Amino acid sequence: MNHEIMKKKKKKNDNGEEQQFEFCEVCKLNHNQGRRHIYFPAHKSSLSALLTRLQSKLSDVKPFLKTPMLLPAEHAQQNRLWCVFCNRDVIELDTPFACGKAIEHLASGEHYKRVKGFLWKHGGGTHRADSFRVVEGDFKKWEKKCKAMKTEAAKAEAVGASNNIHNELNADYLNSFHENNTNSLDFNITNGVVVPLQSYTNEKVQVSCSVPYSASEAGSTSYDMRGRMQMVDAQCLKNSTGFMDNHLSSSSHVDYLSNGSQVQPGVKVFHGDSRSLNSMNLQKISYSSKEAIGGNVHTGATPPWFNSAEENEIMQKPELSNFVNSKAGKSSKLNPKRVGAAWAERRKLELELERRGEVITKDYDANWLPNFGGVWQSGTRRKSRKEFQVENKKSLEFDSQSESFVPLQPYISKRMRRDKSE
Amino acid sequence: MEYLLPTLREKREVDSLIRDTIDKVLVLRFGLSSDSVCLQLDDLYKSAKDVSRFATVALVDVDSPEIQVYLKYFDITFVPSTIFFFNAHHMKMDSGSADHTKWIGTFQKKQDFVDVVEAIYRGAMKGKLIVSCPLPPERIPKFELLYKNV
Repeated sequence: MNHEIMKKKKKKNDNGEEQQFEFCEVCKLNHNQGRRHIYFPAHKSSLSALLTRLQSKLSDVKPFLKTPMLLPAEHAQQNRLWCVFCNRDVIELDTPFACGKAIEHLASGEHYKRVKGFLWKHGGGTHRADSFRVVEGDFKKWEKKCKAMKTEAAKAEAVGASNNIHNELNADYLNSFHENNTNSLDFNITNGVVVPLQSYTNEKVQVSCSVPYSASEAGSTSYDMRGRMQMVDAQCLKNSTGFMDNHLSSSSHVDYLSNGSQVQPGVKVFHGDSRSLNSMNLQKISYSSKEAIGGNVHTGATPPWFNSAEENEIMQKPELSNFVNSKAGKSSKLNPKRVGAAWAERRKLELELERRGEVITKDYDANWLPNFGGVWQSGTRRKSRKEFQVENKKSLEFDSQSESFVPLQPYISKRMRRDKSE
Repeated sequence: MEYLLPTLREKREVDSLIRDTIDKVLVLRFGLSSDSVCLQLDDLYKSAKDVSRFATVALVDVDSPEIQVYLKYFDITFVPSTIFFFNAHHMKMDSGSADHTKWIGTFQKKQDFVDVVEAIYRGAMKGKLIVSCPLPPERIPKFELLYKNV
């Protein structure tokens, strides 16, 4: 009996307006309609709009699922996907492939759960959940393709000489360092880090710089720094991954931060080593003799960019004219239907001519009046101006007439006049 | 701020300003430098810099003899009166009062002034000669319009 009563009470609550206010994320609205809200047409339309928008973004990602492509780091920064279901941004970090992180996120189990929950909550149809995620089979295929691409790329790099700085660091740079450096230095250079200077490990260098490092970088590095605090700070600020410093001395300590956290460059104590000044082992770059003949800064030759500038000059002129045209185009983009457009164009031309020196002394009438719509106006504005001018003229005439009146004279009576004439 | 805005006393100055302000709203305040309401309005015109990209503000001295013809033409009886022009065309604004041809009185806030000028600019760019006032009625100064002293 009691159970039935409880049920009835619950029902009453559902129908009455005593429901708690909830916030609908789709409509961005607070409502107290409870579960009824999702069936209202307003909610349905906003939900469909939201889902179509999301679908369009996902359709951008899907081609990359089929054919993974390598993406340079700078472009990756701009690609981010806002996952509505998980309420978070998926930023493209640490992945060489286009939309790599997005695909991984969409394939994750957590995301799938959230999709289902969202669709249940907002009534989108839980059978549609699959269209908002990446199925496991597809994801595995994508991963395989990525691996294949990676191995291919690695092979290509190993075989041919490439201009890749990372490769230089990894292969040539390391080798040359080992050759030149008599002292035993242990260092580990990771991807994305340019290491210009080296120093002896004799001095205790206490530098603590909290720097993010990627979880994938394992292993210890013993790495002494000297004279590159600025470099370290710059790198810290750049949030570059894979940069760790460790110190030989036990008194020093390093703060390691997990990936993605804030960078706090804090250089505490620093001891220099004078001996290391002499032993800055820099890699020598040899240039071909041809370049030497061509001349350099010391011989006073023209910089190479000027030579190429001559070629570009011919290109520049049409560009300039395009620029000018675009500016003129901008003014023509100003709504031609705007108020006083014709007047404005005419006036602009006049002003330009005046500026150029062809002074068109167009002396405007002193009685020029602007276009004005009177308060009690009926008819066109020209009419109001004309009426005013007409009225003005009348009043002026009236004034002038009054002035040209017979000059005032004292009254002479008839008798006096008669007397005078007699 | 009155001293920072150009004050015009001659008809030809007003004319040339009206003619030379192209593709920008011209805000002409007709008033007296001795009137307190005018001064209050002029103080609001310090937001003239904010609107300088699409508007120019100028003051016209009502006492000057050459300006009298304009007072008649524009039917100015109350001071301060502000008239808006765009490309030498007069812009009207329906602010709920009887007179749409000008703005009579001052503004309560700087932002009100900016909003009004923006509304005028938007309407003008669309080709409308009359726009409606974006301010709520409580912020619009009220006055009674006399028609031929009736």
